[in-house]
Amino acid sequence: MPRWGMVIDLDRCIGCGACVVACQAENNVPINTEDVYHQRRAIAWIRLERYWEGEFPNVKARYIPVPCMQCTNAPCEPVCPVYATYHTTEGINMQVYNRCIGTRYCSINCHWHVRFFNFWEPKWPDSLKNQLNPDVTVRSRGVMEKCNFCVHRIVKAEQKAKVEGRALRTDEVTTACAQACPTNAIVFGDLDDPNSAVSQLLAQAEKEHRVYRLLEDLGTDPKVYYLKKIDIEATTAPAGAH
Amino acid sequence: MRYIRLILFVLVVLVVMAIPLALVLARTYFLSPTAQPVKAQPIQFPHSVHVQALGLDCTYCHRNATTSAQATLPPLELCMQCHKIVPTQGRPELEKLVAAFQQDQPILWNKVHQLPDHTHFVHSVHLSFGFQCSTCHGDVGAMGKPGVKQVRDLRMGDCITCHQQNGARTDCSVCHY
Repeated sequence: MPRWGMVIDLDRCIGCGACVVACQAENNVPINTEDVYHQRRAIAWIRLERYWEGEFPNVKARYIPVPCMQCTNAPCEPVCPVYATYHTTEGINMQVYNRCIGTRYCSINCHWHVRFFNFWEPKWPDSLKNQLNPDVTVRSRGVMEKCNFCVHRIVKAEQKAKVEGRALRTDEVTTACAQACPTNAIVFGDLDDPNSAVSQLLAQAEKEHRVYRLLEDLGTDPKVYYLKKIDIEATTAPAGAH
Repeated sequence: MRYIRLILFVLVVLVVMAIPLALVLARTYFLSPTAQPVKAQPIQFPHSVHVQALGLDCTYCHRNATTSAQATLPPLELCMQCHKIVPTQGRPELEKLVAAFQQDQPILWNKVHQLPDHTHFVHSVHLSFGFQCSTCHGDVGAMGKPGVKQVRDLRMGDCITCHQQNGARTDCSVCHY
């Protein structure tokens, strides 16, 4: 049984936003208009956070793509009154749209703000109607939705493996964001498989003390690992500091 | 005679309580997919002729059943491979087929087997584990002129029961995603 995880190398991330667009297209995420952003109701399963570092002449842009952390002890799960969000045996924090009654407790209990509520019926212009992914449910008004590590791709690959009578190969599945990343900053794979790309990246980065997770101190054990940016100018930074 | 009022009261309460229960059961029965009448199709396609008389395999027409999620309906070109030879005189259903083929118009069949919303069913996996088409679809080969009817419930309880009996996963994300 695999344990899916993701490694995001911030040293490689150039903040292009390809992951955001790929996710939007892959998962039938509704289109966010300016109006929606102003109401803070935009839906983005993976978002790109931008920070400015330093003062004016020496200012630097820093980027962090933030998908769902797929916490092992997810705070969103126990608060759901109808068990619409639950943990799969492969460690993915799933949202079951049919069950969701839209209490939004889960999004309030999520510290990363990666759960989104459908305040309206999603609409696409006619030119994009045929662009919808048939493998993914279109969520209607009144249900929560979130990143699920492109579970439809995982299920499809597992079913293909079953039909062919074999086990899932190492790195056979990848998410839309990882696939779209031009610099391979996002890598997806099985954390329990020592040969997978994520495990090897993590093992390598552990030696360089670059691995950290967002809000790790909360003890939810997220499965999205970040690799710290290597700053050539900051020579005095202590090893292991975040 | 002392308790007649009490007995009457209990009887009335029982009847009143039974009404909603009966309504729910009636709704379940009449709305169940198997209780629906046979759906009208643009062409009355007789499976019995093709399967029983001609001995065609299901996958001859539903070609992708073993390889993909959808069993898929055949394109008209596949029908016409045989039907360009079969005479159409005096057969209005076949004339409709030939007319549609010549006008390059697809035939808009009505969906017979209704799964609940937000579910993903994959034909290839079920077939690769040795299930027959008739396990869920019934003996389609014997269904003649009025058309194909859904014979199995195919709602979640039905799916879960079968999954449990066969040791398949019953995770929500197996079907709902």
